Amino acid sequence: MTVDKVIEIPVSLEVPIGPQHPALHEPVMLKVYAEGEEVVKVEVNTGYNHRGIERLTEKNSFYRNIFIVSRVCGICNIVHSDVYVRAVEQVMDIEPSRRAKYLRVLAMELERIHSHMIINAIMAEILGYDTLFMYIMRDREKVMKAKEILTGNRVLGDYLMVGGVRRDLNEVDRERLKNILVKLEPEVWKYIKVFEEDETLWKRLRGVGVIKPRDVTLHGLVGPTARGSGVNIDARREGYDAYGEVPFNIIVRSDMDSWGRMMVRWHETIESISMCKYILENLPSNGPAVPDETRLPRKFPVGEAFARVEAPRGELTYYVMSDGRQNPYRVKIRTPSFNNIINSGFSYIGHTIADVPVILTSYDPCISCMERAIITDLRRGERMYLRFKDLSTRLK
Amino acid sequence: MEALSELLKEYALTTYSVKPNRLVIEIPKERVKNALKVIKEKHGDTGIYVSTIVGTDFPDKKQVRLDYYLVTHPDDKVYVLRTWLSREDPRVDSILDLFPGALSGECETHDLLGVVFEGNPFIKREFFAPTDVASKGVFPLRKDSGV
Amino acid sequence: MSRAKVISYSPWVAHFNTGACNGCDIEVLATLTPLYDPERFGVKLSPSIRHADILIVTGAVTKKAAERLKRLYEQMPRPKYVIAVGACAIDGGVFSKSYSVVAGADRVVPVDVYVPGCPPRPEAILDGILQLVQKLRSGGVSGGSK
Repeated sequence: MTVDKVIEIPVSLEVPIGPQHPALHEPVMLKVYAEGEEVVKVEVNTGYNHRGIERLTEKNSFYRNIFIVSRVCGICNIVHSDVYVRAVEQVMDIEPSRRAKYLRVLAMELERIHSHMIINAIMAEILGYDTLFMYIMRDREKVMKAKEILTGNRVLGDYLMVGGVRRDLNEVDRERLKNILVKLEPEVWKYIKVFEEDETLWKRLRGVGVIKPRDVTLHGLVGPTARGSGVNIDARREGYDAYGEVPFNIIVRSDMDSWGRMMVRWHETIESISMCKYILENLPSNGPAVPDETRLPRKFPVGEAFARVEAPRGELTYYVMSDGRQNPYRVKIRTPSFNNIINSGFSYIGHTIADVPVILTSYDPCISCMERAIITDLRRGERMYLRFKDLSTRLK
Repeated sequence: MEALSELLKEYALTTYSVKPNRLVIEIPKERVKNALKVIKEKHGDTGIYVSTIVGTDFPDKKQVRLDYYLVTHPDDKVYVLRTWLSREDPRVDSILDLFPGALSGECETHDLLGVVFEGNPFIKREFFAPTDVASKGVFPLRKDSGV
Repeated sequence: MSRAKVISYSPWVAHFNTGACNGCDIEVLATLTPLYDPERFGVKLSPSIRHADILIVTGAVTKKAAERLKRLYEQMPRPKYVIAVGACAIDGGVFSKSYSVVAGADRVVPVDVYVPGCPPRPEAILDGILQLVQKLRSGGVSGGSK
């Protein structure tokens, strides 16, 4: 077997950044070795995004860390602050009110909707379907408006605090949110229909990047990547916050390929819309949603806690250890893309070069920072620079 | 399915829990790989996965603590396998052949704390840490690293 | 007509993430969608760095990404301009005290416009691009010719 092409794809992906910095995205270099057009080996090199967040959290107090930890990932910042705040609440033995729990779930589900829509839009763009990308992004703006009504900001909510949330929801805004969701749902069903019936999407996604259930657990893949292969892993089953009371279905498909993973995300979007509607109908009124900030404890007990949350990309875990001081002793963040991207090098082998961006996008890395790929043709000794998107639309 | 604590009774030095209700089983470092082999045989290939590997530096105890967080499927129980390594020369057997998914956690723990996973050919410096920190031989997560 | 004024009629934009949380990146991506319609000003995403007029930098510049940022800036043909979007690109943001971050894009490349926010709204980013275009039309920037 002779390797005649080496392709280096610098890609930005969500990797938990080491100790201090919450760097959400770690640019990663995927080094793809190809013979002709077939991929024979893939190496994943990291390091561009490391911001040293874990070390930074050891230098700041527990309360300030809520803001640092949100900025690990902009796309799923509310789930990051939720799991950190829950771990801290477990160490301090504080329980938030029921209304605050429901509002937290509402914010997290809105985030799931916008994250799934953007990755599907990007998948359409990678396949060359620019019009679909623009349509999905236009409808996604409705969700951003909803997030702004609830949390005060489009992307970085900064919505959580120890003991509850920072803003309450009044009746007028509740009606506005309900109207937005009612208008959004039929549009999502239209996109599901496009993904199920369009032949170009079908041909590019079916049978590409097949992962068997046994490989999913051995390699520790999580989230829609696992659920698209029939493995029913979902951290929401633990019933944290209000997930024990809000009814929902876990979407599992047995397609095992990229198309199955994208369909899991679309159906989860529908599920999230109905969960949000349920929460808005049944918002409990007991307990103030916003705790009294002056009453928050200033001394922290010794202890450790491990909390998990289902982020849009998969299972996100935080380990928080306190030794009695104002700052935590250790905070360990393991984001879902850390497992999904670094451990999935085996799934590219045997596919063509044009399939590599499609498979990578189906694992949902944070794509906005996709740069150019460098193709070195070893036979002719020449280097070419292509956009990531052009890599997937290569004809040769 | 019997609880993991019963299964590892002969290995465990002590058991307690990390909040909320994550059972911790402390075992000596030489028996980590065998314990994981027993666990994998009991639960099968699709019954358990390695969620994360956490290393913590304790300079006052002169030890580095290593935790393996395991999640069973489908009952979603979280177990912690905890072991202590010496701070001067932290070495433990790599579990890459049992759980290939431990690749990311082992590489990160090596680069940021200096734990050597014997048998893992992929560990290297500068996996995450920038060049100027790695070239000085500094492990950023150690308490005396100065960064 | 000076070169700067000519390109101000349709500036092409390239985007580089130097280690960001992706919050600013999705807002930059959103700026290029029909709701904000940057194409009415002639602004569009450039297919390659060699065709770009404006480089949008997001992210707290990590040490490894700093070298790539410098190389990317050198590959752009003159006249070239840089917009730093987000609090992290301006001075490191929340990560300014970390061991792995060079705090601020202006320590690596000369920056013409700063758009503050965490993340800034798409309207603010578009406003930043247009302020640069205004300056170009009135002849106020040197365009990296030093």
